[in-house]
Amino acid sequence: MTEPTETPPASAYTQAEVYAPMEAEVADLVEALPDFPGFERRSWAELPCTHDGMRVPGYTNVELRYRLSIPDSESDLVRQRYTDIARTRWADRGLEITADLETDLGHRVDRELVAVRDDGVKLWYSVARYAALMVQSGPVPTSGETEIEYIPPAGGITPGGPGDKVSRYFPEGIPAEPATPFESPEHYENDL
Amino acid sequence: MSEMTWQQLRDLDCGPVRDLGEAWKAHAEAMAEQTERVRADVIEGHLGPDHFESDTADLVREQLGLTADRFDDDLSDYATVRMATTLMETADALEAEQRELGELIPLIESHGLEIEGGPGGYDVGMTGDLKWSIARLDPPQWLCDRVGVSKPDGVLDPARLESLFNAADLIASASGLADQYGDWLRAIMSRAHDADDEAAAAMSAMRENPPGLPPRLGASYDDLVDDYRSGLSGEAAEELEAIAGGDAELSPEQVSQWWEGLSEAEREALIERHPEWVGPVDGIPVDDRDTANRAWLDERIEALEPGEETRDDLIRLRDRITDADGSPASSGETGQPYCLLGFGTEGSGQAIVSIGDPDAADNVNTYVPGTGGGLAGATGLLDRAESMAFDADRYGTGEETATVMWMGYDAPDDLLEAADDKWAREGSEGLESFTRGLRATGEGDPAELTLTGHSYGSTMVGTAASTEGVEADNVVFVGSPGVGTDTASALGVDEDDVWATRNDQDVIRYGMVHGTDPTSAEFGGNEFRSDSPRENSEWWRFWEAPIGNHSSYWDEENEISRRNQSLIVTGQGSGVR
Repeated sequence: MTEPTETPPASAYTQAEVYAPMEAEVADLVEALPDFPGFERRSWAELPCTHDGMRVPGYTNVELRYRLSIPDSESDLVRQRYTDIARTRWADRGLEITADLETDLGHRVDRELVAVRDDGVKLWYSVARYAALMVQSGPVPTSGETEIEYIPPAGGITPGGPGDKVSRYFPEGIPAEPATPFESPEHYENDL
Repeated sequence: MSEMTWQQLRDLDCGPVRDLGEAWKAHAEAMAEQTERVRADVIEGHLGPDHFESDTADLVREQLGLTADRFDDDLSDYATVRMATTLMETADALEAEQRELGELIPLIESHGLEIEGGPGGYDVGMTGDLKWSIARLDPPQWLCDRVGVSKPDGVLDPARLESLFNAADLIASASGLADQYGDWLRAIMSRAHDADDEAAAAMSAMRENPPGLPPRLGASYDDLVDDYRSGLSGEAAEELEAIAGGDAELSPEQVSQWWEGLSEAEREALIERHPEWVGPVDGIPVDDRDTANRAWLDERIEALEPGEETRDDLIRLRDRITDADGSPASSGETGQPYCLLGFGTEGSGQAIVSIGDPDAADNVNTYVPGTGGGLAGATGLLDRAESMAFDADRYGTGEETATVMWMGYDAPDDLLEAADDKWAREGSEGLESFTRGLRATGEGDPAELTLTGHSYGSTMVGTAASTEGVEADNVVFVGSPGVGTDTASALGVDEDDVWATRNDQDVIRYGMVHGTDPTSAEFGGNEFRSDSPRENSEWWRFWEAPIGNHSSYWDEENEISRRNQSLIVTGQGSGVR
């Protein structure tokens, strides 16, 4: 196979480093959501980085996915008010809102809100059959499995519990004592 | 090879073919009732142990039972699986193409076009009348509409001058339409020939000699019956080997019937002893294929030397779909099980993995990757399929959607190779067979089947659809360099269910080497929106955005693309933008 000759633009993080600030983004928004019912599931996904249609070895796109339960996703609070709060909060922080869409499917109204940070990290609040908050890193250099540290989930999910779907990265099991316990700072402005 | 002409297809009466198939089916069912009577009334009744108790009576009952079993097997294999099903499948396939032909011919005629080249010709050109109407500056209304000129009304109408100035466009437009209809006709006839050839092959592959019967009763019976029994147990394996090797010429529907006709014990034995034959065969249920493929994957890994690149690729694939305790894993995104439907190491390598069980799903989206796809990158492509599964789940209606990553063809390794359509042509039969297998083994109501091709994968999908025919309710082309045909009509899928997207920065728009751009109005079908979120890292690195945006259709910032694809896959096309 022909090796690509270009690599993605330089990233501020490696894969192992990017999880913490991305998780911090989730915690930041959750803190601003009134009567937050708690997420149902958290997962860490990856999307291939490609160049000329071919995968670029050594790079990946990390995507954090938090979803609410379907019953919780049906409330106006989650579908409309949380979208409005996320829009205001991200705009107030100076993030660029790159998508703000509403689609009436007849049986439900879906909403998409996407904001981008200066470092390329993207935030996406999406309301469809269920609501989900996703954070995407953009291309980052891949890290070995042993380098990736467990970050406890935000938003009410029990670490290592049935809603914490990150075991792919921790085949030996979720660490009982996380290597870097996450403590929510008072503000994120200098960290993000 | 079939030499059926388009006139023969047009005039063919498929009714008798279907009736013959139905007759064979009814005959087989009636005869099966007779064997049941032999078992119940004779073996268990009149000649039963209650009436005749002796060693000889036991032998007679055994021999009669074996003969009844033999008769049942042959009824199933020949009368039902081969004769009846082949005839009915052929009638269905030819009638489908006949319907398309019935749609196409009036279109050709009403536009002043004609099929050229005699009985075997599939080119469409302008009739003399149409050429003359253009030459005398009085083109038909439909052509004026296509070119955007006024239809002249009378000799002195100034619109005649307009026709004169636009004569070249008028001719080009009429020729373009004729070419599209020619493409459509060739696709119809290619699929009709395929159905005709398949039927002929299935019939001719029937064994010339009748299978052996149980030995006659006599002094040597005891010795011979053991050989007969061991021959029976090997028969299913021989048939499976012929099916897996393509020698049996059975369609996936026929394979499905054959598999169902085996006993539970026979199926389990085949999976255990011959996983390499069970795993790749379309028409065997997903659950059994998954079990067989996982066992065969373990065997292949064991057989390869540590450090071999292929071995590492296979281990990565196994690790991805297996839990730490060795049991089959489920997707962390949707909770659906991973199903291994095939893998191979020829060429760039192949891998077919489903997130969710396609046999039990309401919707099945089969994603076909493009250039550079292969075993080495299978887990990365599976990441993309997993995002599709995640999106289908959250944008769906609550129905079950299975997402298949079909890397079942030898994909081109680089852009130079991707200019050649041979990879798509060589993979077409495999993709056709796979989709027919999905339809054959699906449980309950027929699932909504979607084929999504990205980049060269769209060429693969379009070529298979137009030349072999595929089982698909929707086809989706993403970032396509052309799909092997110039018109959506040639795909054998309703034009309303043909979808294409290309963002405005995608570099592929400069490489339309495999036919008309499927996002163009000229191609037909629907276009849906995708954004182009990737940017140049520096102003002078002008190539980065076009190249990056070729693969940006599943980016987070491309939520419109992900959303649109999910709505199509989950049967909510009306919400697509």
